[in-house]
Amino acid sequence: MFKKILLTLIIGALSSVITAQQTTITGQIKDESGITIPGVTIVEKGTTNGTVSDMDGNYSIKVTESPTTKLLYTFIGFAPKELVVAGRTKIDVEMEPSVAALDEVVVVGYGTSTKKELTGATSKVSGESIERLNIPRMDQALQGQVSGVTINTNSGSPGGSSSIRIRGLSTFGDNDPLILVDGVVYDSEGLNALNPNDIESINVLKDATAGIYGVRAANGVIIIETKKGKANSKPQFEVSSYYGIQQASKRLDLLNAQEYAVIKNEMFANGGETVPFANTDLGAGTDWQDEVFTTAAISNYNVSMSGGTKSTTYSVGGSYFTQDGIVGGDKSNFSRYNARVNISTELSEKLKLNSVLLYTHESRNTLPENGIGSVLYNTVNAFPTDPVISPDGNYSYLEEVSDIINPIAQMENTHNNSLVDKIVGKEELVYKINKDFDFTNRINYNYALVDTKVFSPLAWYGPGKAQNSAINEDLDPSLVEIGDSVFIERGASVFEQRATYLDLNFESFLNYSHVFNTDHTVKGTLGASVFTRQGAGLNGTAFNIPNNSEDYADISANQAPGGFLNNVGSFQFEERLLSSFLRAEYGYKYKYLISGLIRRDGSTKFGPNNRYGIFPTVSGAWVFSEEDFFTVPIITFAKLRASYGVSGNDQIPNFAYRAQLNGEGVYVFNDVITQGVALGRASNPDLRWETTRQLNIGVDLTFWESFNFTTNFFLKNTYDLLFQPDVSAVIGSYGPGGQPPIINAGDVSNRGIELELGYSTDPRKALVFSSNFNMTAISNKVTAVPDGVDFLPGASFGVGGNIATRFEEGFAIGYFNGFETDGIFQSQEEIDNADVVQQGAQVGDLRFVDQNGDGVINFNDESDKVAIGSPIPDFTFGLNVNVRYMGFDLSANVYSAIGQEIIRNYERQQPYANQLDYVIDRWTGGNPSEVNPRVTTSSTQNTVFSDYYVEDGSFVRLRNIQLGYTISKSLLEKIKVESVRVYISANNLITLTNYMGFDPDIGSAGGTLAAGVDYGFYPQARTFMGGINLKF
Amino acid sequence: MKTLNIKIFSITAFALLALTVGCKKFLDIDPLFTQDAENYFQNPGDYDLALIGAYDLLQGSFLNVWIGEIASDNSIAGGESVNDTKGLHEIDDMIHGGVNIELRQVFRWNYAGITRANYILQNKDNIDFDGKEVILAETRFLRAYYYFQLVKFFGDVPLIIDERLGVDEVQDLERTPKSEVYAQIEADLEYASGILDWTNPVKGRATKGAALSFLGKVYLYQDKFTEAASTLDQVIAEGGYSLIPDFNQLFTVGNENHSETVFDVEYSGLEGGSYDCLICLEGNAAPGFHGIRQYNGPVYGDGNSYNLPTQELYDAFSSNDLRRDASILDIDAFIAAQPNSGEITYAIGGGGHTGYYNNKYIKKQGEIGLPDNDLTSPVNYRAIRYADVLLMAAEAHNRGAGNDAKALEYVNLVRSRVNMPALASGGAQLTQEIWNERRFELSGEGHRFFDLVRTGQAADAIDGFTSNKNELFPLPQVEIDLAGGNWNQNPGY
Repeated sequence: MFKKILLTLIIGALSSVITAQQTTITGQIKDESGITIPGVTIVEKGTTNGTVSDMDGNYSIKVTESPTTKLLYTFIGFAPKELVVAGRTKIDVEMEPSVAALDEVVVVGYGTSTKKELTGATSKVSGESIERLNIPRMDQALQGQVSGVTINTNSGSPGGSSSIRIRGLSTFGDNDPLILVDGVVYDSEGLNALNPNDIESINVLKDATAGIYGVRAANGVIIIETKKGKANSKPQFEVSSYYGIQQASKRLDLLNAQEYAVIKNEMFANGGETVPFANTDLGAGTDWQDEVFTTAAISNYNVSMSGGTKSTTYSVGGSYFTQDGIVGGDKSNFSRYNARVNISTELSEKLKLNSVLLYTHESRNTLPENGIGSVLYNTVNAFPTDPVISPDGNYSYLEEVSDIINPIAQMENTHNNSLVDKIVGKEELVYKINKDFDFTNRINYNYALVDTKVFSPLAWYGPGKAQNSAINEDLDPSLVEIGDSVFIERGASVFEQRATYLDLNFESFLNYSHVFNTDHTVKGTLGASVFTRQGAGLNGTAFNIPNNSEDYADISANQAPGGFLNNVGSFQFEERLLSSFLRAEYGYKYKYLISGLIRRDGSTKFGPNNRYGIFPTVSGAWVFSEEDFFTVPIITFAKLRASYGVSGNDQIPNFAYRAQLNGEGVYVFNDVITQGVALGRASNPDLRWETTRQLNIGVDLTFWESFNFTTNFFLKNTYDLLFQPDVSAVIGSYGPGGQPPIINAGDVSNRGIELELGYSTDPRKALVFSSNFNMTAISNKVTAVPDGVDFLPGASFGVGGNIATRFEEGFAIGYFNGFETDGIFQSQEEIDNADVVQQGAQVGDLRFVDQNGDGVINFNDESDKVAIGSPIPDFTFGLNVNVRYMGFDLSANVYSAIGQEIIRNYERQQPYANQLDYVIDRWTGGNPSEVNPRVTTSSTQNTVFSDYYVEDGSFVRLRNIQLGYTISKSLLEKIKVESVRVYISANNLITLTNYMGFDPDIGSAGGTLAAGVDYGFYPQARTFMGGINLKF
Repeated sequence: MKTLNIKIFSITAFALLALTVGCKKFLDIDPLFTQDAENYFQNPGDYDLALIGAYDLLQGSFLNVWIGEIASDNSIAGGESVNDTKGLHEIDDMIHGGVNIELRQVFRWNYAGITRANYILQNKDNIDFDGKEVILAETRFLRAYYYFQLVKFFGDVPLIIDERLGVDEVQDLERTPKSEVYAQIEADLEYASGILDWTNPVKGRATKGAALSFLGKVYLYQDKFTEAASTLDQVIAEGGYSLIPDFNQLFTVGNENHSETVFDVEYSGLEGGSYDCLICLEGNAAPGFHGIRQYNGPVYGDGNSYNLPTQELYDAFSSNDLRRDASILDIDAFIAAQPNSGEITYAIGGGGHTGYYNNKYIKKQGEIGLPDNDLTSPVNYRAIRYADVLLMAAEAHNRGAGNDAKALEYVNLVRSRVNMPALASGGAQLTQEIWNERRFELSGEGHRFFDLVRTGQAADAIDGFTSNKNELFPLPQVEIDLAGGNWNQNPGY
C-alpha cells in the first residue's frame, strides 16, 4: 500500500514539474435555490491539488493548463459535479441535491459519516417524517419508521411512555437503548420534554459500531439532532399549529344488563346458589364504557426562526402542546411548553462555538392505569345492572365485588399531578487546529426538577372496598390510636415530592481526517468522556387536609394534631462514568472501507474488582459497484458491510456490589413502630457489566439511482446477564427490604433479518412519489439461566397466583407458560372414558392436555404446562407512502406486528364481574360450544392460566393518513409569505386485528417479563386533526 | 506538516490519557447517607438497632396461624377461590408438594430472621458495653424461635451459627440432623433464660419467662418430659403469670400485655401495606384475611374469609364451653341475633364455606388498622400464653413421671377459668383429655397441626394425612435446587 502511495506521489511531482504551466480559476458555488454553499471541496481531478469554498461560496484554485483538466466539486448532501476547465478562468457552479441520498450525513458517535462511507448498520429518519405524523412523543413517532427497532406503547395516556427495543430483548433487566439528543443522554420518560417538531434527524445505531458508547451501548443507541440554522440565509419564520379531537378507537363488546342478568343467573344456578336476578328483563343497562370514555382535545402550537450569517447560524423556537385523555379528560392531561435556542458561531477563524439550550415545562395528570384497580379495569368489570348514580344520589357501590369500584367516582377522587421543569443543553467548542485536525470540547447538561403531588381525599366507594379512605358514606375519617386511648382522625392526605436530577458530561475528542493522494481517506477519533448523574428528592405526606378539598391540598395546610401521622422521606444518589475511546477508519477510493474502534469505560456501578471494561469493534465495507468487473447497469451502488464487536450494559442499581444496611428492620415495641436496621441487598463484589457480542452482515443496493435497498442479518448474543435471580433462602436475603444479590448469569440470543426499501422520484418534478418500507424478523431465545434455577417467574395471571410468564432456557424472554386446552368436555361419558384424569372436571369444562403423559392433569406442579405464546412479534412491518402532485400532498403510515400473543388479563374472575360477550356462546346443554366453557360460581379449573386466555395479538394499523395542500408561491409573494400548507390528518384510523381487547399495541405494565399481559391498557386514541404550517 | 500532526496527536492523546487515568479516584465514591454492612457495630446503639431488625421477622408468624390450623382438622383454607393462595388449599387437602409459595415463605422468612440474629452474633466481640449480654440473650432467643419453626415444619435443616453465608458457600451445605438443631435451640434458650429478667419494661421484648416457656415446649416436642416438666414448673412457680378471668377478652387489642402474656408477636395498625410484601407489614395480616367476605354489619369488619373453622371443630366443643363461641364465630347465628339482621350482608368465597370464622383473630370494628386494613390489624399474635404453659406442664407431668396430680392441678386451672368441670382421670385417659383440652383452649392459634403430629394423632384426625410423610412438610424443591441439589427431600414427597 505504501509503495502505491509513494508511486502516486512521485508521478504527481513529476507531472507538475513537466507541465509547469498553471492558471487560476475562481468562481462561486450555489445550490439550486441560489444560496451560496460554503465548505465545498474542489479538487483538480487526478491530483492532490484542492481547496474549499469560503463562507460566501467563493473559491480560487490554481490548476494545470491542459485541455483535459477537470475540476471535481463535492459536498455532503449534493451530487458530486465534474467540469472540464476548457480554458475558462471563472467557473460558477450550481450544485444539485443528491437524489440517491448516498451522501446524506449520518451522525455516528463523536463524528459524522455518510451513507456511502458507513460500515455499520444504522438507520436514519428525517425530522420531516417524524413531524408529519403529529405524534406528541418521538418514540411513538419512531414506530414502524426503521427496521430493527420495535416500539410498543406502554400506555396510550397523554405523556405515556413506550418501550423501545433495538434488535430485540437482550437482557432480563433494562432493555432501553441509550438515547442522545444533541449528545445529551435522555431516558425514555424524559422524551416527554422533546417536541418532535424540533427534530432534524434521528439516527439509530443498531450493530456493534454503537460500541463507541461502550458500557451503555448494548441495547443500541439513538442519536437525535435538533434543528440548526443554515449559514448565509435570511431569517426564516415558521408558524405551525394543529388541533384535533381524540376518541376511543374501540369499545369492548361487553354484556348489557339483560345478557348479564341471564348469564349470571345461569352461573349461580350452575354453582348451586340462589339466582341473583329474579327479573332479567333489564334492557341495556349502564354502558360503563360510554360513561368513562370521552372525546378529548389535542392541540399544538409551534413558532420557530432560523437562519444564519457568514459566521453564525441559529435556530430558535417555542411550542405549546396540550392533550386531554380519552379516559378522564383533563384528569389525564399532558401539557408541555418548551423553548429552545441552537446557535453556532465562529468565535475566530479556528474556533467555533456550538450552543444548544432547551427549556421545558411539563405538566401531567394521571389516573390509575394498567393494572388491577385501574379505571379501565373497573370499567370493564363494572356491572351493567348498576346505575352510575344510585337513586339516593351516591355513586353506585357495585357492592358484590370488593375490589371493583365505580370508575366515575374513582376518577373524581383521583388527583395525581407531576410538574417537570427541565433545562437541557450543550456548550461545545470546536478548535480547528489545521485542515486535518479538529479538537472538540463540550459540556452537556440535563437538569430536571420534578414536583409530584398526590391528593387523596376521604372517599367511600361502598362497603368493604379496599380503596376506601373514609369509614362510611358520610366520609368520616378513621380514628388512629396514637397512645393509650388517645385517638386522632386520619383525614384527607396529600403527598408531595420534589426531586432534582442532574446529568453532567464533559467530553473531549480529537478528530482527524485526511485524504492522501485522493484515494486514501484516513479518519481518526480519540477522546475521553466524564459523566456524572446525581439525583435527590425530599417528600412528605400530611394528613387532615381541610374541607376534603383539593383546593387545600398542600402539606402546609394540614391540620393533623401535633403533626402525628405526617411523615417525610428523602433519597439521593450519584453515579459516574469515566471513559476513553479511539476510532480509526481507512477508506480506499470509497471502495474498501475499514474501521476499528475501542472504548474503555469505568463505571461506579461496579466494584473495584471489575470497574473497567474494554469494548472493541471492527467493521468493514466493500463498495463492489465501484469494481471494474461490476457491470450491472441497473444497480448504481452496491455495498457489502460487516461488523463485529462487543458492547456492554451497566443498567443496574447503584452500589449493587456492596452490602448495605438499607433493608427494613422495623418492629413494634410499646405499641410504637420502632425503626431498627437490617441487611438490604446481599453483596457481590465480583459484579461486572453484561456483554453483548454482535455480528452484522449487510448489503446496501441502489437501483436506477432512486430505489434503495438495505438488508441486514444480525446475530446478537448477550452474556453474563445482570440478574437478580432467587438464591438459597439460607443466605437470609428474604426479610423485609432484603434482596438477593445481583449476579452475572444467563445468556440471551437474538437473531434477525432487517429489510429497508426506499423509493423516491425526482423531487423537482410535478408528481413526486416516495415510499419506504421496512421489515424486521427477530428470533429471541434465552440460552442459559443461572445454576439451580429452572426459570425466573414473571407476571402473574388473575388475582393471587398463577405465574403466566417466564424467563426460561430455550424460550423467548417472557414467553407464556400454562396449560394447553383441547376443547370442552361435552358429556359425562367423555369425562369418564377419557384416558386422562382431570380432577374436578364436569361437563362443559375446559379439557386440558396431559403433556407429560402420566394420565393425570397435574394442576399442582409444572409438569403439564407448556409454552402457549410469546409477546414478541415474529415480524414487524412499517410502510410510509408520500405522494405530491402540484400543491397537493398525501401521506400514509402503516405499522404492523405479526405473530405475538397477548394475555387477556383484564377480566376479574369473580361471579359478579361483567364479561365480554363471547360468554354468550358459552357451553350449555343446548349449545355444545367447543371453545367457551360453562359458567358457574363453583370452583373449577377453567380459571387456571391456559391458552384459553391467550389471544393472537397480530395487527395492522394505519397510524397516520394525511392530506395537505400547499398554496403556490406566486399567490403568496404579495403578502410576503413564503409558503402555506394546510392539512387534515387522522391517527389510528384503522386497526385490523382479531384481538378482543382495547388495543393490541401494548408494551409492558412493569418490567420485561410483563410484556404482552393486558391489564386493561390505556388504549391509544383515534385522532382527527387539522393543521396549518406557515413559512415567511 | 506530518510531524506537526504527530505532535498534535501525541499531545492530545497524552492529555486525554492523563484525564482518564489521573481521575481514577473519580470513581471511588461511597453511597450517600447509608451504612455499610461490613463496618457496622461501632457503638452500643448499633447492636440494639440490629436487634430490632432481628425481631422484625417474628411478624411473619401469621403464616403459622394459617398453616398450623389449615393443615389440621380445625379449619379449611377458604378465600376467594381454590386458586387464591393455592398453597394453603393444597395443604388443606394434604396434597402439598415441593412447590408451595407459603411453605417457601416459612423457609425464607425464618432463615432471614436467623441471618439477622447471626449478623449480630458474628460481630458480638467488636466492642464491649453495659447491657450487651441482654442484647445477645434476646438475639439468641430469636434465633432459637426461628430454628424451632424450621424444625417443626421441615425436620432436618442446615444449621448456621454465628456467621452469614455467601451464595457459593451454600452449595456445600448439608441438612443438619434435627437433634443437633434442637440441641442448639436448647443452648440458645438456656443462655437467654440465664440472662434475661422475668419482666421487661418494654412491651414486646423477650423475657426469661418467654425463653423458659419455649424451652419447655422444645423439650416437649422431643418427648423430654422430665426436662419439660421442671422447666415449665419454674415458669409457673417463679414467673408470676396468671390466667385472666375472662376468656372472651384474651384476643382484643385493648387487652394485651397482661398477666397471661408470656410472649406476644407485636403488631401495629399505624402503617399501611400492600399484598405484594406481607412480610413487610407492621400489622397482623391474619385478622383481615380471616374476616368475613364483603361483610356489611356491626361488630366485625369485612375480610377475605380465610382459615375457616370446620363443623367438626365446632361440634367437638361442649355446648356449655364458652370457649366455643369465643373461638368460633357462627356467622348466620350471629346475624340472626342482631336487631337489624335483615340489613346485614356478607358473601361466600369460592374457596370454601363452613359458616364459621376464626373468632380469635378476626377483623373487628375498633381494631382496624390503616389502609389497606385487610392487612394491618394491630392485634398481637399470642405466641405463648400462660394457659399453653399450664397445659404443656400438665402433659409433661402426666406423660413423664406420671405425676397426674400435678397434671390435674394445671389442666383444671385452665378449665376452671371457663367454668368447665374439673377433670379427675389419670394415665392415658388423662393424656388424651389434656390433648383435647389443648384443642379447646388453643384452637385457631396455629398449634393444632403440630400438636397432632407430635402426639401421633395426625393420621386419625386429618383427612388425607399419610403417615411417615405428612408429619413434615416438604422442603421447597427450589431451595433444594438452589443449594446445589444435594439435599434429600423429606420422605414421601
